[in-house]
Amino acid sequence: MKKIFVDYRKCVACKSCETACAVAHHPGGSLFALVGDSRTQVNVRVLGVEHEAFPVSCRHCDPAACLSACPAGAISRDPETGAVVQTPEKCQACAMCAMVCPFDAISFKHIHRALPGREVAYKCDLCHERLIRGEEPACVQACHTGALVFQESEPQREKRAAASLKVYLLGEGGEPPLFSMYRELRRRAFARRRMEEP
Amino acid sequence: MKIVTVGTGMAAAEFVQQLRLGGFSGDIVMYSEEPHAPYSPCVIPYLLAGEPPDNVYWKGRDFYERYRVAARLGEKVEEIDREAGKLRTVAGRVETYDRLFYAAGSRSWFPRPEWLEVEGVFGFKTLSDMQAIDGYIRNHEVQRAVVVGGGFIGIDAALALRHRGLQVSLVHCHDRLLERMTDADAGRFATARLKERSGIAFYMQAEVEALDTDHGQLQRAWLHNGTAIEAPLLIVATGFVPNSGPLTSDQRGVTVGDDLLADPRILAAGDVAVTRHALGGPDGLYATAPNAIAQARVAAANVLGSREVYAGSLNANVLRKHIDFPVISAGQFEGEPVTFTDGRLFRRVYLRDGRIKGYILAGDTRLSGYIYNLYVSREAVAGKIAAILADTRGESYYRSLMELAPAAISC
Repeated sequence: MKKIFVDYRKCVACKSCETACAVAHHPGGSLFALVGDSRTQVNVRVLGVEHEAFPVSCRHCDPAACLSACPAGAISRDPETGAVVQTPEKCQACAMCAMVCPFDAISFKHIHRALPGREVAYKCDLCHERLIRGEEPACVQACHTGALVFQESEPQREKRAAASLKVYLLGEGGEPPLFSMYRELRRRAFARRRMEEP
Repeated sequence: MKIVTVGTGMAAAEFVQQLRLGGFSGDIVMYSEEPHAPYSPCVIPYLLAGEPPDNVYWKGRDFYERYRVAARLGEKVEEIDREAGKLRTVAGRVETYDRLFYAAGSRSWFPRPEWLEVEGVFGFKTLSDMQAIDGYIRNHEVQRAVVVGGGFIGIDAALALRHRGLQVSLVHCHDRLLERMTDADAGRFATARLKERSGIAFYMQAEVEALDTDHGQLQRAWLHNGTAIEAPLLIVATGFVPNSGPLTSDQRGVTVGDDLLADPRILAAGDVAVTRHALGGPDGLYATAPNAIAQARVAAANVLGSREVYAGSLNANVLRKHIDFPVISAGQFEGEPVTFTDGRLFRRVYLRDGRIKGYILAGDTRLSGYIYNLYVSREAVAGKIAAILADTRGESYYRSLMELAPAAISC
């Protein structure tokens, strides 16, 4: 199965992934349709921690704790792509899934696919409908820096993935010099800001 | 081999599904007092709030046909003869088995059983209860309801009825709600927030003493202190007893080992099973959906011939119904408490030997999965837990992953 791998050291927090995800999951399918729409669904969240940035989303664990915990039968595994997928019409937003997700990848909102007036749990669906059409996940396609990569994941890696996201971290290729410089500048800017704090 | 289940609840449905998916081709017979396909007890309260009726059937309405089950519905099992390997129903049917999967669940406990004779008084446990309540509300155009019991199920019931538009009063004997899921401070916090935000009228440290009826139908409930609550609907959610009678002749549940066997030919699981706690808590009835499902999977694997060991139950639970105010808790509230609160959130972890022994998180689900995993993995957290609890952005896991030091706590 192919999974989304993360090289957070290449993330420049441009949030292109968030925007692309929102457009891909919006019934309007365009950036303009998102404007002012509170039901917009963004399944990836670029989390800034000090000078680092990390695009947080579902890891589609196997076995998946959320899938085993759901008492509504609203979470299933897509047989073709291996994606852990939610069925919003069945979800009661009871938060059993969020209670056990190690990666804090599940949020709650009244999204477009939910029944009228109802909050549901939502998270990354690996763009499994795009994958069937032969496309990449929207966030990966939108990532300019190679921080998000969609690639094959070996089975033994997947077993460990349920316990730790580390198996999905890239970094074996080393950093291009420009990235190293950018990170260093960011680290210093952050350190300076912290010094200036009262 | 012929397998018989007593019950069609979550444990039994998961067990049967796993057997069929695992290639079991023998006869399967399922018994239930109720006339329904397997349903999710966690979903049924939402029926009262307008949920599409089919959503309760968590494994599909066609479960019995799909998994080739002979369903004996509306038939209550009264007696089990372990020696002979057969059971007998109230109606007198006798069924033999090679393996019995005993998952008869639990039933509402009524402090005053005679109240059940009053029209308008219901338990809050089964799909049949929900359908009866729904029908009663429609037929009598009910606008007001009283819920007795401020534990998980009572609050669940009150919020569901409130969501439907009823005026709801909740009567609870304690000075705070959810006293099993929370400690005193967290319980007070949750009670205050629910009072502010739920739209429910709470009567604390109160008990219903008497009911007024008119031609057998409920008119009002009288509290001990003389207060009368006008309402034609009263829901009793004061606790549950396991349906272990046919197997053990008592109401204390069925004790099973890590193989989920209660007897060489009888497996038990779900709300009726007394199991070991996974992380050193006492043995007990740990009646949650994830425990039932995990038990059913281990039981099915063992029937299919592999040797699987049940890792034990967890008493982790979350209440997040109809309003965005989740209360999450797990473990035992013993040891050294570490607390964070900012008015909106209340988070407390109990440490024992530097590891999480229990925790309560109210107001938000952020970080709850991370803390759950720190608890389950028995990781030493003494040095960083205060910073984790104070993290309102949900960055703690990613901070540790990127090998950044725990955040400094600003006061």
